[in-house]
Amino acid sequence: MSHDHDHNAPAAMVDEISDFEALEIAVREICIEKGLFSAEDHRKFTEFAEHIGPTPAARMVAKAWLDPEYKKLVMTDAIAASKAVGVDYLNPTGFGTPSDYTDLRVLEDTPSVHHVVVCTLCSCYPRPILGFQPEWYRTPNYRRRLVRWPRQVLAEFGLTLPAEVDVRVEDSNQKCRFIVMPVRPAGTEGWTEDQLTEIVTRDCLIGVALPKPGVTSNLELPVHRAAKPAHH
Amino acid sequence: MAVPEKMHAPADMAECAANWTPVPLLEEIKEHGRVWGELAEQYGVTNPDPPWKTSLDGMCEVLASGSCSSMAAAEKRWLAGDVVRDAMDAPLPLLERRWEEDELSATLYQDVPFPERQLLALTHSLIKRGLVDPEILKQRMKEVHERLAAT
Amino acid sequence: MSQHDRTHHARIATGKGDPQCFAGTAGGPPKFKVGDRVRIKDMPDIFYTRCQVYTRGAVGEVAVVTHESPAPEDEAWGHVDKSEWFYIVRFKQTDLWPEYPAAFANDTLQTEFSERWLEAV
Repeated sequence: MSHDHDHNAPAAMVDEISDFEALEIAVREICIEKGLFSAEDHRKFTEFAEHIGPTPAARMVAKAWLDPEYKKLVMTDAIAASKAVGVDYLNPTGFGTPSDYTDLRVLEDTPSVHHVVVCTLCSCYPRPILGFQPEWYRTPNYRRRLVRWPRQVLAEFGLTLPAEVDVRVEDSNQKCRFIVMPVRPAGTEGWTEDQLTEIVTRDCLIGVALPKPGVTSNLELPVHRAAKPAHH
Repeated sequence: MAVPEKMHAPADMAECAANWTPVPLLEEIKEHGRVWGELAEQYGVTNPDPPWKTSLDGMCEVLASGSCSSMAAAEKRWLAGDVVRDAMDAPLPLLERRWEEDELSATLYQDVPFPERQLLALTHSLIKRGLVDPEILKQRMKEVHERLAAT
Repeated sequence: MSQHDRTHHARIATGKGDPQCFAGTAGGPPKFKVGDRVRIKDMPDIFYTRCQVYTRGAVGEVAVVTHESPAPEDEAWGHVDKSEWFYIVRFKQTDLWPEYPAAFANDTLQTEFSERWLEAV
């Protein structure tokens, strides 16, 4: 029973190698040995499947903040603009489905309008440029409530917007997919494209968070400080 | 139903579908392998996907990509006039893999849950193309089991 | 043969994109332009639709004329020989939800419709 467990115990793991797990490893090793692909290339694609690290969409936003000409392209033809960050929308990676093609649009925030994206009918998401949806994006809770009580839902994400900022919800229900281009935050003057890319986290691109200097997806998790730290 | 001609599977794919024959090794795994749902329940794990799922996704992708190192090498040889252009093709193009996965999922592996079904179908496609030898695969699986269980 | 061949789509869309592969197939120019006031029709949807119930009967303004594509009500059944223009329509939240707070009267919501769902106001 779960209440018998220590609350700090790690989550349970499956301590058994199934034939399927062994099969996946064996097939992969044989393919690598035959030169069908390299281990490094395989790792890169797997990393993409796990959407670790800054997304291509983050770089698109950072580039647009720095380059007004590129920003024009982003706003008028995001599919063409996505090539500059290494994503070919017309030949998408094949994780899935028709929804990997689609018509990419960028929603530009201003000091007086904030955008946030939802798909009330399913979980439409710009996967080629943003990776897989977070679990909460697929939940009926988010989908049902965001369109109706957006400020309340955003506040639950820790984003409380002042009354003078209008909230614009985008319900992504057809073949358009959306990312939000937030306003470049104060305190980032003189930053490089790489520095800016780091702070445009996935949640900023969906619109449930705003970029802040010092807040990146690679930030260390908060920890309980040791009461009696040991010095070595 | 108004489906344009170009949306039908090409003839060679249809022909291919008629020739699905069971692979003894994969049949054995299908019968006796323990699927994630069963393991997760036994060990009290709530993760919906097995730990190897994203690696399988990565493998499907990299097999369909032209960017892998052996392909880059093939392209160089092609540019140098050493080989015919066909050598540049991906080992297992996306459309063929996905189409075969759908066919196999509806036939040989219809009773296997996802993603185990996807893994069996991918392996089946690789074996049918002669890219993976079932005897070598069987031996390698044994070695993997031993390596991962090593204490 | 499996019921649904997922490669159909990639075969028509690769290299072009979808909806881009349907460009020029709506048989004419778009009926509405950016800024037009439109009402969402409340039509029957027994089988399949992507027109949300909460938008039915509401009046909004065309924000973007997006592209041509078969309507999902047709495409879901494999009928892709007839396309329509699509529009992103912007609504005032207070026009969609009676209880939406008046303090946030400028909050908006946008979503997309095929032409069959729109009528001029």
